[in-house]
Amino acid sequence: MTVVADPPVLVAPIGTRRRIWRRIIRNPLAVLGLGIVCLAVVIAILAPFVAPFPFDKVDFSSPLQPPSGEHWFGTDSIGRDQLSRAMYGLRASVAVGLLSVVLSLAVGVPLGLIAGFYGFFDPIVSRLTDTLLAFPFLVLAVGLAAILGPSLTTAIISIGIAQIPGVIRVTRGETLRLRGLDFVAAAIAGGATDLVLLRRHILPNAVSALIVQATVAVPGAIIGEAVLSFLGLGVRPPTPSLGVMLADAQTFIRDGPWMAVFPGLTIVVLTLALNLLGDGLRDALDPRESRP
Amino acid sequence: MTELLRADGLTVRFATEDGPVLAVDDVSFTVDEAEVLALVGESGCGKSVTALALTGLLPRNATVGGQIRLGGARLEQSRLRSVRGKDVAYIFQEPMTSLNPVLTVGTQIGEVLKRHQNMRGPAARRRSVELLDLVGIPLPQRRLGEYPHQLSGGMRQRVMIAMAVACRPRLLIADEPTTALDVTVQAGILDVLRTLRKEIGTAVLLITHDLGVVADIADRVVVMYAGRVIEHATAPALFDAPTHPYTRGLLDAVPNPARHADGGLREIPGRVPTIRSIVEACTFADRCTRADEVCRTRRPDLEPGPAGHPVRCWHPLPVAGGTA
Repeated sequence: MTVVADPPVLVAPIGTRRRIWRRIIRNPLAVLGLGIVCLAVVIAILAPFVAPFPFDKVDFSSPLQPPSGEHWFGTDSIGRDQLSRAMYGLRASVAVGLLSVVLSLAVGVPLGLIAGFYGFFDPIVSRLTDTLLAFPFLVLAVGLAAILGPSLTTAIISIGIAQIPGVIRVTRGETLRLRGLDFVAAAIAGGATDLVLLRRHILPNAVSALIVQATVAVPGAIIGEAVLSFLGLGVRPPTPSLGVMLADAQTFIRDGPWMAVFPGLTIVVLTLALNLLGDGLRDALDPRESRP
Repeated sequence: MTELLRADGLTVRFATEDGPVLAVDDVSFTVDEAEVLALVGESGCGKSVTALALTGLLPRNATVGGQIRLGGARLEQSRLRSVRGKDVAYIFQEPMTSLNPVLTVGTQIGEVLKRHQNMRGPAARRRSVELLDLVGIPLPQRRLGEYPHQLSGGMRQRVMIAMAVACRPRLLIADEPTTALDVTVQAGILDVLRTLRKEIGTAVLLITHDLGVVADIADRVVVMYAGRVIEHATAPALFDAPTHPYTRGLLDAVPNPARHADGGLREIPGRVPTIRSIVEACTFADRCTRADEVCRTRRPDLEPGPAGHPVRCWHPLPVAGGTA
């Protein structure tokens, strides 16, 4: 079959939103990921209504119960229902996953645009980025959390900051690439101001790359929250978080392994689902694939 | 006719990693109102750089000398930005990539109308439809909601032209507007340029290496070679009596089945040299069959030649006496 193809469009036009959606729907793994993520978000929001027990209901008559019909995920050392705690724990995961990524985008995107567009800002922003990137993600997050003092807000802020350099990198790279394209030159020739160029021509074209970046960042943030809480730098007990549950489980790893297994599985399933969704999105947004 | 644009002694130097490059060397020309002036030459002769210098769109490593006057008023380099898109519009060579892929045609035209005429809402929409109609796009109402990837190359170039003339510019600079398009579409685009000239009185500075396009639409022609103007004439005069050996070579290189019965294509041997600084010689001497010692040691001036129009050559071709 001979097809006279257009030169490859470098970005997926937003106009193909419906097509992108169709591509995701046709990818079973992406649908699975999307389904699990939606379920997790719904459970997190409706935790007080869907959890079988209050997360802090102590029941000394049934400590360290293995999973059963009554307690699907078993109970912990003071008889709290692990399923209910995991459901409430998802709230911290979802909050950190979303808000820290929003924070990193809010700071990183403008900086990346400026660095990519104005050459003289580039060295400053890029050195800052390199400095932050020199620290491994978790070391940076843990360090920041240690300075700020443990709380959910701390987890959001420190993970958000730790993710800024990645966002700057992606945005700056896209800006550099887009700035050299013909339609930007054409807009300049048409008298467009820098603000118009950035807002109308560069940012909208960088969106698909940023969406992909965000789908990688969200599971990273969720794991980050679990790590910080595990280390006592994030959500504090008795508020449940998957990380807090894992920390509690340490002592009872022999007598009640389910205490560690179920929160751990929850994290694995959730981040796996996010990654599947992210892969699906990346494929759907890739304009080189010309499937309808 | 009144003079619209005057370039006087325009010089462009680039600082590159391999040293300086003199891309445009003392180029002067004028464009009258509602006139089509063609700037002709092979790749690398400085025609695009000249056009970019007129709009201040050159990269940072370029230094521009000389004077530009628009409608009698001198245009400083720092003021070019305010003129861009309003008095002087620019159409690029590549219609396939010159439109923003994520915005609809309507949004992109609307953006220009908002910027320069503060026109928005239904008024801008009406005007956009008018513009698309003017450049010969069928069903303009529907096209406004479409994205560039839904349009063909010719359509995109028409949209580019519609955006360029949205503010009734006095001068439209078209940098090889038809090069990326096939021949039938080319003819359509040239028709659009003709219409514009007739209906809104826009002057066109047409940059091209296609002499067919020049013959079709241009009033006057400036031939450039290695950054210099080497011949300057009305289109009929140039085609009748080319006096610079390079112009002659360009005309001979146009494929013509009648002339080249053997099917071979004529070419000018060699390529355009890169000029680093002002050369006291004819820059074409190395490729010219008529070149002698004078050509290699002294710079020729642009002076009236055998056919009456200016030519920069020590040994211009004689005008063929009535036999041509």
